[in-house]
Amino acid sequence: LQKIGVNFTVSNKDTVKSSDVLFLAVKPPIIPFILEEVGPDIEPRHIVVSCAAGVTISSIEKKLSAFCPTPKVIRCMTNTPVIVREGATVYATGTHADVEDGKLLEQLMASVGFCTEVEEDLIDAVTGLSGSGPAYAFTALDALADGGVKMGLPRRLAVRLGAQALLGAAKMLLESEQHPGQLKDNVCSPGGATIHALHFLESGGFRSLLINAVEASCIRTRELQHVADQEKISPAAIKKTLLDKVKQESPSLSVTSANKVSLFSSRSPSSKKN
Amino acid sequence: GKVPAGSILASAPSDRNLDAWRESGCRTTHCNLEVLQESTLVFLATKPHVLPGVLQEIRPAVGPHHVVVSMAAGVSLQTLQRLLPAGTKVLRLMANLPCVVQAGAMVFARGGCAGDGEAALLKSLLSSCGLCEEVPESYINIHTGLSGSGVAYVYLFAEALAEGAVKMGMPGGLANRIAAQTLLGAAKMLLETGEHPAKLRGEVCTPGGTTIHALHQLEKGALRATVMNAVEAATNRACDVAKD
Repeated sequence: LQKIGVNFTVSNKDTVKSSDVLFLAVKPPIIPFILEEVGPDIEPRHIVVSCAAGVTISSIEKKLSAFCPTPKVIRCMTNTPVIVREGATVYATGTHADVEDGKLLEQLMASVGFCTEVEEDLIDAVTGLSGSGPAYAFTALDALADGGVKMGLPRRLAVRLGAQALLGAAKMLLESEQHPGQLKDNVCSPGGATIHALHFLESGGFRSLLINAVEASCIRTRELQHVADQEKISPAAIKKTLLDKVKQESPSLSVTSANKVSLFSSRSPSSKKN
Repeated sequence: GKVPAGSILASAPSDRNLDAWRESGCRTTHCNLEVLQESTLVFLATKPHVLPGVLQEIRPAVGPHHVVVSMAAGVSLQTLQRLLPAGTKVLRLMANLPCVVQAGAMVFARGGCAGDGEAALLKSLLSSCGLCEEVPESYINIHTGLSGSGVAYVYLFAEALAEGAVKMGMPGGLANRIAAQTLLGAAKMLLETGEHPAKLRGEVCTPGGTTIHALHQLEKGALRATVMNAVEAATNRACDVAKD
């Protein structure tokens, strides 16, 4: 992050003081502790954006209301391809977040992909679909490449072609008015190679596996939310295990950077730092 | 449909099948040759193994003005043309059962000597029984697998739908009628809107609703693959039978 000119600090307090929009990008169990820590410094101007899976707007608002009467909270769910500006992001606005606060977030996140507002109760489903979705795609691509290799292609080429095929198909679908079923039909010439292959996919229950996957991810997200609500983990226990892990992985890192808060230093949309 | 009953002559060995024709006002006979003498357009509707014998019988009476349409499953245009005089206009027709309620699906292929006029005539006459399309002969076995036998797949599906309803507490008779109407209605929407079935399916599925839950069950059971298997099996069987 420092390489692209983003200011860096190990002090969460400093971050809050010099920013207007706060992204909380920590693991869900850590959220309550971060909120305790930065709560006193939260002012009416702050927009607190949580990307933590399963952490509800109401739980964040509840924690912050001890410090600030009308905290602006927005909950968002994104996915890893934001890294290549093809993310899928949804957000839900909290009680005190205005329409323009939501629109600001939307503008920011739209610079790294697709972004739209949803009702909070849909966010678990979004997690199951586009949150976990890239993993389904990676798995598919790995297998497609295996198929290519089995039939004689070198691995690198197989991976490249498989990825391009999915990329191209997704692009066609997004740019077309047509139903994916119709687009599928358009590829299947009668008695040809593709329809033979599709028959195999159907025989394997391909579609139901994907439905099952989205469902499982969504349900698990809800389960984790339930666990998080109960706050069974003690503060001391969390920090110690995390600290230990960080120490093992990167001994040179300063210990306090385990608590990361991303920062945007200005309210104006023109200062997109990605 | 388009032809007055009095202009139709039906021939069969016994009266068993002829009563229905007489009741509609058609003329009947037991003499195949009479049909050839009285008619221009002749439909051959015998069982496949009987057909060669009938063709031998009528061959002397077949002339260049005749249009011969065979409905015998698995008997190729090549065979028909071989057993009839050279130059005879021959067409091959494959229908399905719901023709009897004017909701049939029919395909026909023309032999070498049958022209546009004959094809147009056949299509025009048969359209009163349902959908009628000209196809290459190679599609005829596929039509068997899709629609000839396909009618039975639909009956099976209707039965299963009704059983599901009975399990949930609905009386059987009512369940059967509603199942049938559901299939009829869905098919009608498909035909009249011309939309892709996947699109129509999506339109019925409200998020998190009953339909998508049910469809998931169908996908888990690999219904699509099973249906594809069925069409493939029937088509292959039609090809095998034709070779015999």
